[in-house]
Amino acid sequence: MINDLKGGKKMAKMTMALFSGSVDKLTAAGVILSGAAADDMDVEVFVLLMGARAFIKGKKTESIAELPDHKEEFLKALEDLNIPSWQDFFEQAKELTNVKIYICSLAGKIWGGEKMDDFIDLVDDICGIGEYVSSAQEADVHLFI
Amino acid sequence: MTTEELKNLNADKVVDARGTSCPGPLLAAKKGIGELDSGQIMEILSTDVGTKRDIPKWANKKGHEYLGDYEDAGFFRVFMKKK
Repeated sequence: MINDLKGGKKMAKMTMALFSGSVDKLTAAGVILSGAAADDMDVEVFVLLMGARAFIKGKKTESIAELPDHKEEFLKALEDLNIPSWQDFFEQAKELTNVKIYICSLAGKIWGGEKMDDFIDLVDDICGIGEYVSSAQEADVHLFI
Repeated sequence: MTTEELKNLNADKVVDARGTSCPGPLLAAKKGIGELDSGQIMEILSTDVGTKRDIPKWANKKGHEYLGDYEDAGFFRVFMKKK
């Protein structure tokens, strides 16, 4: 329940299921979070199975999910265009609006993360799938990435 | 506003987001608007072509007044007034 009142108005809520742990989809998620942040939305991100790996301390994410044959082209373009890393997008969105990032407990365990200390600072808590379903039910915008 | 009118505007704050891609200019505008008082004018400089559609949509949704935009030497100047 993170709906704050801003100027007496309830802020719109976005719930994101982040299933993917690949650079391309994490970057897309980061861009979407930026848009939500510009709009002052309340955002809850639920990191599911494959997504959790990217949030474990010390693990580097290098895969891309889409067009794997064009990985070099994609990564070079990100660099040439001076696009922030997905972590920077997430961090910036958290600075600008209320973004909470929850790791699904099962997903964490799969990649060796069981306690908050195992995860990077972006993570707010570890949660169960029930909370994701409730959040999605209340959301104005619901995305699965 | 017409381009001539926009050219004569004195912005209270200029946000230079040139060289960044979407969502850079939008986020720069979002950060910049917080530093303005009601009724003040912000000018956003952007080289990202999406800005011309993105900023007016966002501004109107937030209740600010979108004043217009014009193309300068290889970039856009976008103007809005804080509500």
